[in-house]
Formats: sequence, C-alpha cells, structure tokens
Amino acid sequence: MISMNKVSKHYGSFQVLADCTTQVQKGEVIVVCGPSGSGKSTLIKCVNGLEPFQSGEIIVNGVSVGDPKTNLSKLRSTVGMVFQNFELFPHMRIIDNLAIAQVKVLGRNPEQAREKGFKLLDRVGLRVQAEKYPGQLSGGQQQRVAIARALSMDPICMLFDEPTSALDPEMINEVLDVMTELAQEGMTMMCVTHEMGFARRVAHRVIFMDQGRIVEDDSKEAFFGNPRSERAQQFLAKILHH
Amino acid sequence: MAYNWNWGVFLQPTATGDDSTYLDWMFHGLQMTIGLSLSAWLIALLLGAVVGVLRTVPNRWLSGVATAYVEFFRNIPLLVQLFLWYFVMPELLPENLGNAFKQTNPIVQQFLSSMICLALFTSARVAEQVRSGINSLPPGQKNAGLALGFTLSQTYRHVMLPMAVRLIVPPLTSEFLNIFKNSAVCSTIGLLELAAQGRQLVDYTAQPYESFIAVTVAYLLLNVVVMSGMRWVEAHVRVPGYIGGK
Repeated sequence: MISMNKVSKHYGSFQVLADCTTQVQKGEVIVVCGPSGSGKSTLIKCVNGLEPFQSGEIIVNGVSVGDPKTNLSKLRSTVGMVFQNFELFPHMRIIDNLAIAQVKVLGRNPEQAREKGFKLLDRVGLRVQAEKYPGQLSGGQQQRVAIARALSMDPICMLFDEPTSALDPEMINEVLDVMTELAQEGMTMMCVTHEMGFARRVAHRVIFMDQGRIVEDDSKEAFFGNPRSERAQQFLAKILHH
Repeated sequence: MAYNWNWGVFLQPTATGDDSTYLDWMFHGLQMTIGLSLSAWLIALLLGAVVGVLRTVPNRWLSGVATAYVEFFRNIPLLVQLFLWYFVMPELLPENLGNAFKQTNPIVQQFLSSMICLALFTSARVAEQVRSGINSLPPGQKNAGLALGFTLSQTYRHVMLPMAVRLIVPPLTSEFLNIFKNSAVCSTIGLLELAAQGRQLVDYTAQPYESFIAVTVAYLLLNVVVMSGMRWVEAHVRVPGYIGGK
C-alpha cells in the first residue's frame, strides 16, 4: 500500500529525514514514535506530498508521490489525514465540513454528500452536533469530526499526525476509541503518536525514529519486548515510567 | 470679528443663472464623491484581493510581481499619483488613444483619472490587508485543505479566503473610510466633488464658515453610514464559537 525507499529531506545542511525505508501493507496499523524533532511528522506528511523530499521514492497504491507528473490532489483525495490541531474549517457547520470535499473534489451531489456525512457523524457519536460550528465543540469532539471528515472521502489509508497531542487528558480516549475501531475494521493506518497503550493494543508494527532516521522498525511484540537500539530503550524507559 | 452668519445662503439661487441653488451644488458634490469613491472601492477590493493572494502563493515570480505592485502604489504620494494619471498618462498612451481621451468630456477625463488613481492606490493597501489576513491563519488550515484533495486554488477559495476575509473586516473598514476622505484630493485636478463644491461656494458667496461646516458635516455623515454598514457586515459574517464570535 505504502512503500518508502531511502527517503531523504534536508533544509539547507540540516538533515530532517535520512534514508527512511519502510513498507505498510494493506490493513496494517503502524505506529510511528520517537522524541520530538526526530522527523516523525515530516515523514508522515511526505506520504501525501504535503512535505516535499529531495531524494528517494514513496509509492502510495502504485503512484509515485515525488514524481512531478503525479496529480497530487487526486492522490491526496484517496489518503485521509488527521492533524494535531484538528484543522476543521471554522466558518462551516460540522456537516458542511464533511460534505464540501466530497462535492468539490469527488463530484458527489450535495444531498448524497450530506447523507454520507450524517452517517459518519453517527458513527463517531456526533450526529446531534451536525449543525454547529467547530468552535462550539470540545477538542475531542472536533478531532472525531476531523476523523469523520477524512473518512468521508472513502480513503484507502489514513494518516494520523499526533491526533491526541493537543487534547485534554479526559478527551484522549474518545479519539483513541474511534481510531481503535477503525483499525479493527481493517483500515490501513499510519499513526504518529505517543500513546503507547494504543500502540500495544492495535498496532501491528512500531517504527521508532531519532534524528531523521528510522532506528527501529519492528513488530510491536519485539519493540515493546526487547528493543534493539539503546536510543529506543531510553525513550521507552522515559515515557513508560509515569 | 464681524462675520455675517447666513445659513439661508444654501437656498439662494446660484450666480450662474440656472434654477439651481447652492444646496444643489453641495448635493452634486456629494453625489460625485460617493460615485467616485464607491466605484474606486469596488475596483480596489477586486484588485487588492487578487494582488494580496498573489503575494502569498508559493511562486517567486508571481509573489515578486505582486510585491512590486504594492510597494509602487503604496510609496508614491496620492497627489503625485493623481497628477501622473491625469497629466502624464494620456501622453504616454498610443497617440490615437491619448487623443481620444483628451477629446472626451473634461468631467469624464477627471472622473476616470481620479477613479483609476484612487482604485490603484487603495488596492495596494487592500492587498496588504488580504495578505496579512491569509498569513494570520493557522498554517495547518492550508494543509488540511490540500490533504482533502483540494487544489491550491480550491484551498484558497473554500478554506483560506473565507476566514481571511472575516479577519480583515475591521482594517478594511478603515480603508473604506479612507477612500472617501482621499477622494477630496481629486479636487486638485478640477473634479467638482464635495470639497471642491465647498470651495466654489466660498468663491461665489463669501460665506466660508457655513460652506465648510456643511462640507465637514457631509463627510462625517457619509462615514457614519459607511461605518454602520461595515459593522453590520462584521456582525453578519461572524463565525459562532470562533474568536470574536458569539
């Protein structure tokens, strides 16, 4: 589904990503973790071309992301993405947030798009909020709407960029629950997150990054059981002990 | 000081011999000011929006041209720009076009030059507001639009501009008020707008206090109307739950 081969990116002389190589199979759930500044978010944004990269290759569903001939908009419409700060469109009602891209990008008729929007809101438990504006919802609710908005495009895979980092602790679980459900239904997912509980529960593989490199790329059992690199051991020791 | 107050002066017939009163002159001036300012404002809004957007696009050439445009029109005094449009521009046009311009009704010449001058001057300022509005949006908004499969122009159209425009309504109100005030400069090329009519009235009646008090009140009233109109717009486009919303 997603394959990365020696992806590198630098700003001037600063290396953000260095020779990152990994694969994500259909139906797989990958958790990407690592200290801040390690390049996790950049890596995941390269997958749908929001961040350009200088060398290497990323293939998503048979399409090369870095190829200048690729229609990036079309590719992005098939890859759902959820952001740390939700990024709902504040001037639109919740239901319009879910419908607009279906209408403008996929060409669905507005009625069908709203219909689908309502179904997805049902699914994340927010049907009653359909006519409200994003600013009137809590962070957790906004993030669930953002997930529903991404799903409204019928994506072939989903990218999550620290989806719970901007949330109050109380609201983290409602978002993780939606993500867990999604994973159990077989969605292909790549999640940048520090929620190790989530990783243990639903991830198939864990990627650990440090200083722009993929240091560890293992099944979750291997990663949590016995990480090979010292850096990953330190990281786990720090975040698991409180 | 012995000054003869005479508010009745406005109702006297003018010295030109037709049926009009000095009040009619004032009204004509007011109409000219409103017509000139509104038409220039519409052009300034459209042009300013385009130039402001271009300043933010990820293309060095386009944003460079837009920046040059803004700096040019923002950094030359309005009065000098007016003289350039009115006295110099017709000479620079291809000869037949320049001559055609010079043969049109002088009022049309004055009006067109003034309108273009005010419109371009103000558009540079509007462009700066639009640019600052776009730049003040959270950077993730653009990514969110693109990630859904919107093209860059769709992202501007559906995601960034609707919010940016809402954010800049208050500064745009100042620009809107400014254009009415700046239009007084156009009296220097002979356009009979409100300020010019005020001065003309002094020449004919020797009642400067009444004349300029009337002009002052007319400008104030005009801007009160504009301000309440823009307040209504501001309240109308407010986003519920957003900063400044209800």
